Amino acid sequence: MKSGQAEIMETSKGIQKSGLMSRRIAILEFILRIVAFFNTIGSAILMGTTHETLPFFTQFIRFQAEYNDLPALTFFVVANAVVSGYLILSLTLAFVHIVKRKTQNTRILLIILDVAMLGLLTSGASSAAAIVYLAHNGNNKTNWFAICQQFNSFCERISGSLIGSFIAIVLLILLILLSAIALSRRH
Amino acid sequence: MAKESTTIDVGEPSTVTKSSSHVVKDAKKKGFVAVASRGGAKRGLAIFDFLLRLAAIAVTIGAASVMYTAEETLPFFTQFLQFQAGYDDLPAFQYFVIAVAVVASYLVLSLPFSIVSIVRPHAVAPRLILLICDTLVVTLNTSAAAAAASITYLAHNGNQSTNWLPICQQFGDFCQNVSTAVVADSIAILFFIVLIIISAIALKRH
Repeated sequence: MKSGQAEIMETSKGIQKSGLMSRRIAILEFILRIVAFFNTIGSAILMGTTHETLPFFTQFIRFQAEYNDLPALTFFVVANAVVSGYLILSLTLAFVHIVKRKTQNTRILLIILDVAMLGLLTSGASSAAAIVYLAHNGNNKTNWFAICQQFNSFCERISGSLIGSFIAIVLLILLILLSAIALSRRH
Repeated sequence: MAKESTTIDVGEPSTVTKSSSHVVKDAKKKGFVAVASRGGAKRGLAIFDFLLRLAAIAVTIGAASVMYTAEETLPFFTQFLQFQAGYDDLPAFQYFVIAVAVVASYLVLSLPFSIVSIVRPHAVAPRLILLICDTLVVTLNTSAAAAAASITYLAHNGNQSTNWLPICQQFGDFCQNVSTAVVADSIAILFFIVLIIISAIALKRH
């Protein structure tokens, strides 16, 4: 009888520990989503509001630069806005994960959506990075000149907005890993 | 009336005994069927995973090869344009070749883990490792494809605001090869997304 009771107590402790760990994972997931949201919305706003007008007009170079002069930067703003919107909506499901115990189906749904959003965000950030790199360095072979020699603050701003997006990419990868770990822990 | 009563009388004892035996047999059968179907479903997913990896290997090697061999020499020399175009003229294309080669290598190395998942459908560790590595590699693959795509778009259309001129009017074949490589890699990215979804579904327990 004593051994039986001890086993029961150990089992109940194990169940409580498992539940506690799952809840911690869910809470961490919730926090990571909030942080990722602020990174993506910050990147979108920073890129979207970038603008510079030169005080003089030159013969070959345009006197004004905006983010929508380059399609890759426009795509960057749209991608970050979409991902930040998704992250806000996904907070509801993340909250359900904290409250409920059996969340296998919603976790799979979240993983699928997270992977799709990770792809969108990565493509937006990388295409913008390629253009920003070209704006800074130009290319001799194709006769594409560096425009950052004239538009300094414009280039600083578009470079800075990429940082938030890449941080969000890392956070999304962590979110997918957390979801996978939570899935494999359930019994 | 007599016949009906006869059938009723005969049926009762046989149904009682048979029902008890049927219950036992059905329980055993259900157990076996459940175990078989569970392993079968996950094994099917693992086999599909393996086949999809083979397809992704073929597509990524094709993409890297097409980009690597994309080169064109014009029959004449012009004053402002270089007479030769190769993938190594642009950093985004260099990054594309390296990244896609890394992705193809990873896919080859991941085949043993996929085989382990086929042999032991309920093992969690190889499935979890595959999902983590797949996520990292799909991010690398997507970044390479997106960077190359944005440069390819620029090569085709140019940009009036920055006075970047399109080069695809002179290097038509080069741009075609480059575009083909980017499209092939995009197909590989779709395969990766399906692979990650398969891993997530297989991780689900009952």
